[in-house]
Amino acid sequence: MSGGFAEGVEAYLSRVWGAPTTIEGLSRISGGASRETYRFDAIVGGERRPLILRRDPPASLIETDRRSEFMALKSFHGRGVAAPEPLILEEAGAELERPFFVMARIDGGVAASPFAPDPYAPHAAKVGEDFFGTLGRIAAADVPGLPMAEVCEAPALDQCWKRELDYWAGVIEADELHPQPIVRAAIRWLHRHPPPPAQKLSVVHGDYRTGNFLHDGEGRMIAVLDWEMSHLGDPLEDLGWAMDPLWRPHGDSRVGGMVSRDEAIRIWEAASGLTFDPAAFVWWELFASVKGQAIWISSAKEYRDGGYKEPILCFSGWVTARRHDEILAAKLAELPL
Amino acid sequence: MTPTVREILQGVAMVLATPSPPEAGPMYDASRKGMASTLAVLAAGEAERLAAATIAENADIRAELGASAGAYDATLGGRLAKAAANTDADLTTPALDGVNARLRRLLIELHGAIEAAGDVDGHRRIVALYGRMAVGRRLPLGG
Repeated sequence: MSGGFAEGVEAYLSRVWGAPTTIEGLSRISGGASRETYRFDAIVGGERRPLILRRDPPASLIETDRRSEFMALKSFHGRGVAAPEPLILEEAGAELERPFFVMARIDGGVAASPFAPDPYAPHAAKVGEDFFGTLGRIAAADVPGLPMAEVCEAPALDQCWKRELDYWAGVIEADELHPQPIVRAAIRWLHRHPPPPAQKLSVVHGDYRTGNFLHDGEGRMIAVLDWEMSHLGDPLEDLGWAMDPLWRPHGDSRVGGMVSRDEAIRIWEAASGLTFDPAAFVWWELFASVKGQAIWISSAKEYRDGGYKEPILCFSGWVTARRHDEILAAKLAELPL
Repeated sequence: MTPTVREILQGVAMVLATPSPPEAGPMYDASRKGMASTLAVLAAGEAERLAAATIAENADIRAELGASAGAYDATLGGRLAKAAANTDADLTTPALDGVNARLRRLLIELHGAIEAAGDVDGHRRIVALYGRMAVGRRLPLGG
């Protein structure tokens, strides 16, 4: 990149918008291990536009498709889900050398850490209502006609589970550096006990959890973030991920530190119009922890291959992986052979 | 283990030695260094506990391999018995880690055989072992 990053952004926006553009307040947002995320204001034609730019990193926690992320935002922005407005998709990289996209910035919110004690008090119940209600609305959306449908393969209803399991088991097979008997036992269990076909084909956010949304500090969810793993599949996949014990503070029985499990399911059912199937959900709950472990195993490999530079990759590949081993062992202990 | 304490501390050193690019800004830089500091503290605790935890895990796996050695075909049973009879002679962390990797591979193979045989008791024993392995490697935040 000739010149600095800021100059590259200014040159790109000036060219695409056909008007001289400057930027102010550029800074990188920490977290978001699968994309470099920057915030800034663009000044164009006397107007100030608060923006977010998400660029592919040299090494990533997970390989994701920025086009499906962009189209997921396009599918839900302005349709009852607090998805930020997607503005520009640049897949060639252009002035910034690596693919990126630009979206509108939603200010005034905070993202809670999944590891913080009581992250939403005293508004936990209200946040939970919004969180699981929004997830229900995503699940309820009719896929045909959504921009997501243009870019994502639609699996058959009875193949949703297999596609996801094959993908994440493949990640573990490819990236495992030290043998992992616990997650491998869970994968075998999932193969032995396939779930029923999905009730409907839905957009699956892919990483819908505490920490991946902004709330206003008074119980209202104002932005659903991090759609980079979005795809089409079984709506129970997102529910299983959102309710994984990893995303709840230690010693807190509420899912995501928000509401009870029964309450979360009630809210989700009401918003989605779908029926919660406890037997199918056993499968998707175990799968969620397998998927998590696959991501952490992959991040440990990226940490090593990338020259040990990104501490978030190390934290995920080590600390979070250990926690998920405990969760998986506990889940396996409750299941039949 | 993955990553090793050496790799974790190499990463911490890289973060401290390499300035963030100017576009990152001071908050990002501080957050990155804060996370590196947390990793360093956790690595210190891991360095204190790791050898003992790996020796305990290796012994636990060997006990299970030994208990199951007679129940399966002679080829697998022979390998299980041989592994069960070993001890950890080299107590350096890389050596313990290497032995642990070999024992874990055998455990994976054994568990697959137990499942194929429909051996519910054997399955329960191994799942209980997984629970002990996971707890034995628990990382108490704060070191």
